[in-house]
Amino acid sequence: MGGKVSCTLGEVKQRADFIVYWGGNPAECHPRHFTKYTLMQKSKFLPRGRKDRTMVLVDIRETKSAKASDIFLQVRPGKDFELITILRALIKDQNVSDEAIADTGLTREVLDDLVQRMKSAKFGCMFFGMGLSMTRGKHMNSAALLTLAAEMNAFTKFVAMPMRGHGNVTGADVMMRWQTGYPFGITFNRGYPRYNPGEFSTVDVLVRGDCDAAFIIGADPGGTMPQPAIDHLKRIPTIVLDPHVTHTSKLARVHITTAPQGIAAPGTAYRMDEVPLPLKPPLKSPYPTDEYVVRRINEAIMAKPFWLPDGSQPQMLTAQV
Amino acid sequence: MIRITGGRVYDPANGINGEVRDLCMDGGSFVESVEGGRTIDATGMIVFPGGVDVHTHVAGGAINFARAMTPEDHRRTQAFIRTKTRRSGLGGMAPTTFATGYLYAGMGWTTVNEAAVPVLSARHTHEELADIPIVDKTTLTLMANNEIMLDQLENGEYERAKQVVAWYIWAAKSYGIKAVNPGGVAAWKWGKDAKQLTSPIEGYSKLTPGTIVTQLAQICEDLGLPHPIHLHCNNLGAPGNISTTIDTLKHLEGRRAHIAHCQYHAYGGDDWDTMCSETAQLADYFNAHPGITTDAGAVLFGDTVTITADGPWQHLLYKLTGRKWGNLDVENETSCGIVPYTYRPSNLVNAVQWASGLELLLLIQDPWQVFLSTDHPNGGCFWRYPEIIKLLMCADFRQECLKQLPDKIKGKIRLAEIDREYTLYEIATSMSAGPARALGMPKKGNLGIGSDADVVIYEEDEDVERMFGHPRYVLKGGEVVIEDGEIRETPEGREFLIKPACDPGIDDFMRPLFEECYTMSFENYPVELERIEHAEFADCLGSTRS
Amino acid sequence: MSLQVIDNATCTFCGCVCDDIQLHYDETRIHKANKACVLGTAWFLNHTVEHKYPDALIDGKKASLDDAIELAATLLHEADMPLVYGMSNTTCEAQKECAALADQLGGLLDSHTSL
Repeated sequence: MGGKVSCTLGEVKQRADFIVYWGGNPAECHPRHFTKYTLMQKSKFLPRGRKDRTMVLVDIRETKSAKASDIFLQVRPGKDFELITILRALIKDQNVSDEAIADTGLTREVLDDLVQRMKSAKFGCMFFGMGLSMTRGKHMNSAALLTLAAEMNAFTKFVAMPMRGHGNVTGADVMMRWQTGYPFGITFNRGYPRYNPGEFSTVDVLVRGDCDAAFIIGADPGGTMPQPAIDHLKRIPTIVLDPHVTHTSKLARVHITTAPQGIAAPGTAYRMDEVPLPLKPPLKSPYPTDEYVVRRINEAIMAKPFWLPDGSQPQMLTAQV
Repeated sequence: MIRITGGRVYDPANGINGEVRDLCMDGGSFVESVEGGRTIDATGMIVFPGGVDVHTHVAGGAINFARAMTPEDHRRTQAFIRTKTRRSGLGGMAPTTFATGYLYAGMGWTTVNEAAVPVLSARHTHEELADIPIVDKTTLTLMANNEIMLDQLENGEYERAKQVVAWYIWAAKSYGIKAVNPGGVAAWKWGKDAKQLTSPIEGYSKLTPGTIVTQLAQICEDLGLPHPIHLHCNNLGAPGNISTTIDTLKHLEGRRAHIAHCQYHAYGGDDWDTMCSETAQLADYFNAHPGITTDAGAVLFGDTVTITADGPWQHLLYKLTGRKWGNLDVENETSCGIVPYTYRPSNLVNAVQWASGLELLLLIQDPWQVFLSTDHPNGGCFWRYPEIIKLLMCADFRQECLKQLPDKIKGKIRLAEIDREYTLYEIATSMSAGPARALGMPKKGNLGIGSDADVVIYEEDEDVERMFGHPRYVLKGGEVVIEDGEIRETPEGREFLIKPACDPGIDDFMRPLFEECYTMSFENYPVELERIEHAEFADCLGSTRS
Repeated sequence: MSLQVIDNATCTFCGCVCDDIQLHYDETRIHKANKACVLGTAWFLNHTVEHKYPDALIDGKKASLDDAIELAATLLHEADMPLVYGMSNTTCEAQKECAALADQLGGLLDSHTSL
């Protein structure tokens, strides 16, 4: 188990005759997803557009996105992992008990129909949102769904894709991978990157009180994180860069106002499918860009003594060449 | 200004074979003489032009996908610690960008060709390349499964297809064309593959892989690309694929071409049990056709991660290994697949692959035709090239290594019967002069006056692997970047690109086709020239740049 | 005064990153964002070039940009385990500077993804 079988959104637009949204509500959170990328588009392979596609919504409640779906499956809260595991068994004609199916809040009849539709699709795509990846099971749910998509390729073409949320979070992921090897949750405290979500991820670091200064950019943890994390941000020197004075700015030692990206700051942003797009800011802000300010801070630190002594060696347990 | 004195110089492009000579450089190039500046005493040392990797995967969506999938490898591998002036990084199967520059330069390679770039994510690739220090770079655009282009060929619109290709090269700000499993990746978009050169491709009525190969090769010729078609043949990795490969070469006959990672295309047999090396047949073809070049795509035993635009092959590899599988289909253009893999000497298939790569390097007589590569990271990581050099230069060592293969290997490979040993001159050809010439880079891979002052200096050592793994000095653009195993400087590298002649009306032709299948705006698609750090234009053949 | 127009502008509000937005704007604000969804329209129209906030704040008091940058550098440099966090609502170019910052500091680097 592991990996990710995916595609860019144009492939969905062109080919996907079977689309699942799992634990997401694009109608309200990604309003143009249906019209620009998935359901409504016509293509040479799907000339009738919406009529040539089947859309399934899996969620714990009937959101506005359900109106757009052909089939709505209401899974019992916290049972996504179980439901995915059952589907993985059913596509392979393995036995699943009635109790296990009933536990998910769905019926065998409904799931048999779903499996039959999945297998007879020419190109299936499953999008998954925070309702799957941020609830009980968390990354295990995402991994299970990605595995289901991979395994479906034994029968037909199938892919899966996370519905990445806010702004350019995908760009941060992509860039950290090429510069450090890891997508998030990184420490450089040995002079080179190491990765351990749960240890080096921000909420954990803050709740444990592990860091003794914080630099916050393009986020407002003061408005979104658990109280113990916020309390620690108050205790330590916190620096905020943001176009607005945010909740976090109010508890920070330093706030610097910057130009909003894509409106007054140029650059690049990555779409949820990792396609990079250029920004075209129309306005000239009275504030500097994030890029400029962080570079200035980097230069100011560069002028101070370096923390690692010259000739430091990596502290590896085993040194493979 | 630097003068290197007293070294034994190997410069195959200028026919210099181990003569003791001085080299002078100034302003990034070799010059006749210099007054003052630093003198490097290379007495007793060996002087090569900097290495040129004709086929590697170091930047962009695919290798970055591989990085995401292999955190367990990053944790155990070589770390580059942060210094006051130098960024940190990690080596391993899929090195980070900064480490990629350190590792290539650290073994004397100064130019690399990123061999597979989708246009849709070319912006990303260039961003990563800008973060690879020291080495100069080129990129190749994936084209043999681009559906807009294929539609032109299907309709017999050769001229249109040529214009479309030229448009894409400039949109991607690339250096040339890569063809991967022509037609097969397009078929993969429906979960299929293309195995027969003469059978129509899934979704097309007439178009065959063979047609794509010949027409795309001709387009590269007609556009005067400095590097000819760079071809990853159909049926990669499959037992018995030698017939496909030879058939492909016959389709190409009379045209320039570079065949990528030929090791993966040189197998006989009917299935995994009967798979054997057919390198002799392939080498014979190359020996009889000096106009085509290839790189080995050699395999080394150990862990790696395989990455290729060949989506269907990676699905098969996932089914064979049960390991992690990454796949990313790119709208209209291509696909890519990622599967971590371990080559084991005890595995008969892996043993055949290991031997086949070396056999091709040894059986193709002219080192100007076959170049050192592992198809990094597919056959092994690029930083293991010194191991291959040792295998090429030491027949005894090869015999020693053969002993770890299973007995059943007998009759399946030819390596045991080959006693050829590469000379230093031949190594310099295969790792630098040859690939530079194949890439059409006259200022690379040689030490002539006016060429780029990229030099690697080795202290002579009986242990060839150690010698090539730890150069005494590496100079890039006339600047000492590596000295005594230490990284001295990390200058930014340049990126070479071309602007093929293109009908100005092509934009109007492309726009409606583009809008039908893509999801981004036509205007935002081409990579802006100012995004390329240190862009340097190369000329197309037989044309003057506009 | 007639408005200026930019075609194919890119909206970074959500992960869709639509790049087909037509913006009508003058020197101070965007008046219209054609093709943008309700979330994107709000995103474009709510930002103006008004000098609504001070350039910088130190301990809640107005400060100059230069002083704020210098203090930020000093606080981060003095820390043993500084954290660099966020990077959702910013450009890749700024994100790269953030990674360089964490690397230089020997600190922690994390994004919204870990939430």
